[in-house]
Amino acid sequence: MNNTFNARRFGFLFRKTLLERPVQIFGLTGLILTIILMIYFICKVFFGFGPAQNISFIWGLAGGGCFLGSFMFSYFNSNASGSSYLTLPASVFEKWLSAILIAGILYPLLFLLFFRAMDAGFVALYHRGLDATSPLYKIRYDQVYLFSYTGQIAQKVYLIFFMFTGAALTGSLYFNKNNFIKTALVFCVVCVLAFGLNWLMAVMVFGEVRDAAPFHYVEVTVGTGEGEINLPQSAFDIYGIFGDYFFPVLLWSIPFIRLREKEF
Amino acid sequence: MYYLTNTLMIQIQHLSFGYNKKKLLYKDLTLTLQSGSIYGLLGKNGAGKSTLLKNLVGLLFPKGGSIEVNGFDPRKRQPSFLETIYLIPEEVYVPALTIDGYQRLFSPFYPGFDSAKFTSYLEQLDVKDEGKLNTLSFGQQKKFIIAFALACNTKVLLLDEPTNGLDIPSKMRFRKLISGIFTEDRMIFISTHQIRDLDNLIDRVIIVDEGELLLHASVGMIAEKLCFKTVNEIRDPADILYKEESLRGISVVIENKHGEESKVNLEHLFNAVTENPEKAKAIFQTRKNS
Repeated sequence: MNNTFNARRFGFLFRKTLLERPVQIFGLTGLILTIILMIYFICKVFFGFGPAQNISFIWGLAGGGCFLGSFMFSYFNSNASGSSYLTLPASVFEKWLSAILIAGILYPLLFLLFFRAMDAGFVALYHRGLDATSPLYKIRYDQVYLFSYTGQIAQKVYLIFFMFTGAALTGSLYFNKNNFIKTALVFCVVCVLAFGLNWLMAVMVFGEVRDAAPFHYVEVTVGTGEGEINLPQSAFDIYGIFGDYFFPVLLWSIPFIRLREKEF
Repeated sequence: MYYLTNTLMIQIQHLSFGYNKKKLLYKDLTLTLQSGSIYGLLGKNGAGKSTLLKNLVGLLFPKGGSIEVNGFDPRKRQPSFLETIYLIPEEVYVPALTIDGYQRLFSPFYPGFDSAKFTSYLEQLDVKDEGKLNTLSFGQQKKFIIAFALACNTKVLLLDEPTNGLDIPSKMRFRKLISGIFTEDRMIFISTHQIRDLDNLIDRVIIVDEGELLLHASVGMIAEKLCFKTVNEIRDPADILYKEESLRGISVVIENKHGEESKVNLEHLFNAVTENPEKAKAIFQTRKNS
């Protein structure tokens, strides 16, 4: 018997994972998509299409993915369900893969399809509502267009999704109860510490600092002038590799190691 | 790992375990268990009974020493190992599924699962299909999990306080069912502090206290080495391992020096052994390597 991966056994596990807690998995996904639809609609009414697309995309993919991710290993909030999960005859790799597949592949795919349909619907409604005989028709028509999945904002959101969801998955294996809240708190503490230390170092080195972002830039005031000091490109590239690849991969890999070593 | 016979074996070698590094629950525990027996693991609250079961199934890892279950290292939690062992914890988990739904989702993981036997066990334990399992009473949920675990036909069955939450008729049915499903190639390991529930069920007794193995003996050997009787007066108090006054006289546990026949009273045995650990160990010659 293959103790690492068996397609049939993985199929059973994946089916069990989806159907054992349908309210959490399907209900939560449905709820997230409904909320996103409402956010899009409300933001469109008050702020216009651009902000509506950006805000709903960020919250839907990064926020929703992170929230769903925190449920993937939420068996450990009771002794009975935790024991049942860990002693289920499936390998650690299969259990990890099952969670990754749902939170990291299926949900984003479903969300992207939903978002495209929702966005296309609202944009089409807007275009259809325009007066084709108006001299401003062309300008107004071109003002609203579909959200680009390959644009800069989308790319940043993909990264945030991978970081946040990875952190949620990791956190759910370290905190048995209220894992989402505890992980969010740890994440906030890490961010505050990173920004705080960076600020402290920038003040120590440059004196009067207006703004500073870790591994990015420092805005300083010199006399009456202001200036921005950026990280050298070569250093920024190294940071980019860490931020874009190393940390997300690390955050998605830790659950596998943690699951293997978890005692309950 | 290959075995010449089908004998299943659990080997615990110099096990040390503790939740706190300074205070170990088990220190240098060595124990060998074999199939064909129903073991009763007895101990006080907090003696580490559940902890030992969790170590056997790989939910907790030894801090020192090793555990081997039929050649497997439980801490690796390999599927080929997990499908041969089933732990029924004190508190059971049932999702919001019907009996059929649960069977459909969980039984494929156990190659030995027998659907017909599952139905029969549910009937014997008087578990009715009344909607979602999580809406059933605790006792009904527990009986459901017991029926499912038995139907999985795993070689090792670990039960942690199985009778907790069961009413008196259910306890009786449980005992009957366990006796009925027992076969020589299986090992059943029951941990409990409700000692009376195991009467006439177990054939080997393990008593642990303060991280130490005090007794590991068959019921037959216990009856051979100790005498359980009721007397009107105690002539030689030095021989007494345990005494309890009752309406009929004084129930005593003494060393069986004259080959008297008596029925083992598990509760009295437990009290005798935990109150006189050194004497009990001397009588049973319980060594560290048991």
